[in-house]
Amino acid sequence: MENGQENHEDIQIEEIPDEFQCCVCLELLYKPVVLGCGHIACFWCIFKAMNTWRESHCPICRHPYHHFPSFCRLMHSLLVKLYPLASARRVKQVEEEEKEVGYFSPEFADNLPVSRCKTDLVLDTASPHSVSSQKCGSAGEREHSSVDVSLDTVVPATSSSETNKDTMSKNLNFADEHASASEKQVLMTDLLCGICKLLLCQPVVLNCGHVYCENCVINPSDKLCRCPVCQLEHPNGYPNICLVLEHYLEEQFPELYAERKRASVGRSDRQIPSTRNQDEVAGCKPLPRFDLSAWLTGGGPQIHFGVGCDYCGMCPIVGERYKCKDCKEKIGFDLCEGCYKSSSKLPGRFNQQHTPEHQFELIQPLQVRNVVLRLQPERLEEDGSIDLLEYVEDSSVEPQHMEEDSSETNSPRDDLRDGQVGNISSSGTGGDQGGRESADRN
Amino acid sequence: MVDLARVQKELHECNRDVQVSGINVTLKGDSLTHLIGTIPGPIGTPYEGGTFKIDITLTDGYPFEPPKMKFATKVWHPNISSQSGAICLDILKDQWSPALTLKTALLSIQALLSAPEPDDPQDAVVAQQYLRDHQTFVGTARYWTETFAKTSTLAADEKIQKLVEMGFPEAQVRSTLEATGWDENMALEKLLSS
Repeated sequence: MENGQENHEDIQIEEIPDEFQCCVCLELLYKPVVLGCGHIACFWCIFKAMNTWRESHCPICRHPYHHFPSFCRLMHSLLVKLYPLASARRVKQVEEEEKEVGYFSPEFADNLPVSRCKTDLVLDTASPHSVSSQKCGSAGEREHSSVDVSLDTVVPATSSSETNKDTMSKNLNFADEHASASEKQVLMTDLLCGICKLLLCQPVVLNCGHVYCENCVINPSDKLCRCPVCQLEHPNGYPNICLVLEHYLEEQFPELYAERKRASVGRSDRQIPSTRNQDEVAGCKPLPRFDLSAWLTGGGPQIHFGVGCDYCGMCPIVGERYKCKDCKEKIGFDLCEGCYKSSSKLPGRFNQQHTPEHQFELIQPLQVRNVVLRLQPERLEEDGSIDLLEYVEDSSVEPQHMEEDSSETNSPRDDLRDGQVGNISSSGTGGDQGGRESADRN
Repeated sequence: MVDLARVQKELHECNRDVQVSGINVTLKGDSLTHLIGTIPGPIGTPYEGGTFKIDITLTDGYPFEPPKMKFATKVWHPNISSQSGAICLDILKDQWSPALTLKTALLSIQALLSAPEPDDPQDAVVAQQYLRDHQTFVGTARYWTETFAKTSTLAADEKIQKLVEMGFPEAQVRSTLEATGWDENMALEKLLSS
């Protein structure tokens, strides 16, 4: 595994190998999110690439999904460790973007990576004018995990006391060689499965962002894949192995990994066949159907376009939607029916300061009849879409929070919904080109 | 807001292995949102030997929305409008994915040149000819390639030389010729009116 640190003398920012580059922004993965198909992208890249109108598709393999996964802390801290300079730069970049947009990605509140590898520090001192304490400071502020932590905790006395620039390059080489053995140890402790406590083998990343060995977490008897830490069920069938992570493990710990794999093959014979048919195993939560025609006629399940659940990540929310009345963040805080009733206490996906004391209200989705009436009353007359008109007259149910919603014109979600909905009613059949939320949120 | 950092990276990546892929992307003006891509005609097709220019406009949603691409070089192909250069290709429409890049999109267009889809045509006339009279189609496509997609350096130099002799500065002549698709008369008109 080239970890890009060989080149530290020539360039300020490490070379990022292709597998750690986000397929969307082509930068170092930042707060990586792993989809059920095993493909990785940045938190914000996936967020922007998601279709909040219907189910989304993996940018790489087009595997359908409709739950926005939580970001994978394990991968994140691994990348921060491997590429401290590039990470620091990304932190700064993304912070600026977030400030501009007014949405925030989740912070590390807990689960701090305690151990730091030595090269972090060495690299810091080596390039004092580029990414020095200033940038790292900002990284540290947000994540409580960044490079300056290492200054306090794992300072190798030999290299820190050595500040003479002339001897620095020698020192670096020495430190690199010297550190490689212990560094591997450090790295390995970060790459353990939470269940078997051994090195990850055929790692899968669940929707909640936790990583386990495939054999540990997939239980063939109940057909469910539930995270033992956060108790969340993984939606949409079993997750695929995250190949990027597996390749990294293979390269980093060739012998150990081969051994682990041999052992797990023996075990998996008794458990599950390794080639699984996705359709067969999709016995978890069935995908809610996104039936646009049903929505247009007012039948079918309620779909809350442009709104995602903050616990399980379902987007758009299908079924009942509960909106927090007390969260002040621009992005809001919403739960789907299942998560509202499960009373889980996870933090919000966008760093909302939600507390269990907050009150929820049940929100009715926009329905086409109201939309048509409200947005384009003249359109009805022109088209003479009689069946729709009749339906409107029949309907006695009014959405409860229609007025409040439309009055908050500065709320992007409502702007979005209005925009999309406008599309629908003007194009008649609608849905395919329904405005992309990401554009609004950019 | 177009992700300019990504566009810059893409340009860098694409132009690094231009020798291998033959695919080139350059800026049209000063802005990173208007680009010109060039693809060589695939070998073994009527487009062989031609160099096709594709006009690329990046919308605000890029890379989450597909880039707008159309042929700037006239081309005779069932899925490309012989009039406007509009391209009928799913990945430039609903099958776009943000993991695709300008280079991969141009590669797909190059693949489209070698594998036309006459059942889903952009230009009905061409598609009909493709299905009913394949020989004529190949002939026309080859003729169009010869006429519009080939600017031998020799011919280009001659044209420049000619206009320079008329008293226009060479840099201006070159840029005007490029802008008019190496059409001498149009370039001359433009030069005279400027």
